Amino acid sequence: MENGVTSSMCPVYQSQACNNAGQPGGVNNVSRPVKPAPLPVPPPALKLGQEGFKKVCRTEEDSPCPFPGLASGVLEMRVKEGSKIRNLMGFAMARMQGEKGVSGVNVSGGGLRQVVFTGSGRAVTKTITCAEIMKRKVGCLHQLTKLRYKVVKEVWESTEGGTSEMTVHRTVPSISILLSKDPLDPQEPGYQPPETLSALWEEREGTEPATASKRSLGPLPYTSFPDCKRVCLGEGVSVLPPH
Amino acid sequence: MTEPRNPSMSSIPQTGPAHTDSSSPAVEMDPVEYTLRKRLPRKLPKRRNDVYVNMKTDFRAQLARCQKLLEGGGHREICVHGLGLAINRAINIALQLQASSQGALQLAANTSTVELVDDLEPEDPDEAGEPMTRTRNNSAIHIKVFYPDAQ
Repeated sequence: MENGVTSSMCPVYQSQACNNAGQPGGVNNVSRPVKPAPLPVPPPALKLGQEGFKKVCRTEEDSPCPFPGLASGVLEMRVKEGSKIRNLMGFAMARMQGEKGVSGVNVSGGGLRQVVFTGSGRAVTKTITCAEIMKRKVGCLHQLTKLRYKVVKEVWESTEGGTSEMTVHRTVPSISILLSKDPLDPQEPGYQPPETLSALWEEREGTEPATASKRSLGPLPYTSFPDCKRVCLGEGVSVLPPH
Repeated sequence: MTEPRNPSMSSIPQTGPAHTDSSSPAVEMDPVEYTLRKRLPRKLPKRRNDVYVNMKTDFRAQLARCQKLLEGGGHREICVHGLGLAINRAINIALQLQASSQGALQLAANTSTVELVDDLEPEDPDEAGEPMTRTRNNSAIHIKVFYPDAQ
């Protein structure tokens, strides 16, 4: 396992580290007893939650900005597991649309030019959802998506003795999505031009002549699944059955 | 959630209601009268190097399949897709592939919104309830895993 599980007495600075987890948009995910997030490759053998331990602290280690050359003042929305999308979007949309400058920093009309959504572990889905909503509402946004592993330090405390504490370093997948009103480098891996919401598939299919005919974007072709009971009960797994 | 949950549906987690960004207005309904049935997502391109990640198949099997495509299958790039809950797993697979390639592989991720359709079927056909459909949105990710020198 790649987790360095060090069982040791936890130093005092832990509580302090917990306190500064209050980032913009971060709703307390510190105190919630959460099952360990899914790990990369071998599935987690580590189930502290079931062995009389509870998580008391979770801090993400600082990692360099995934977008080199980005201006330092860019709004970064850190999406957490417990963040409410309406809170995140209410704040971010107001800043991007420049509704009389929330903090008075960027009153120069039109709001901010760029925003970054980041999230890790179970917040990844929510992060993407936020970016998708913003793309739909604002329009004409260039997107750059970056994936990487992030090291998260968790402190677990025994619920029985109260004396033993464990520090777990866990690697969780994280995503960073840069949305920009200004053009970005199209050569950069993970770049998406504006309005690819539905054109994504058309474009990809075009590159591969062997694929079936293009799908219409109108009413969805469900004719291949006429019996929805079969779909419900059967092998209908995710996007498509594997074969 | 006001939706009545059909027990047979709980096994399709990635279309679950947890993180949908549905903007459709809430439909008033009596929870006892309708069964919620989720249709499969619309058909998407299926090339030999497209991998659709789900939450039912064993993670290692899906990872091994991708590795096979890249190493044995002679593909210079594969596309890993994940919808909803399976986004996490898709990212994990892509990052694992990259890590095990010692930096030879690169990732290019795109995100999209997938429209999903739910059917609401009246439990009792004699009742006045009409069958309804409802659409909602779910997020998806498409990760191109490729050797950078590939054209």
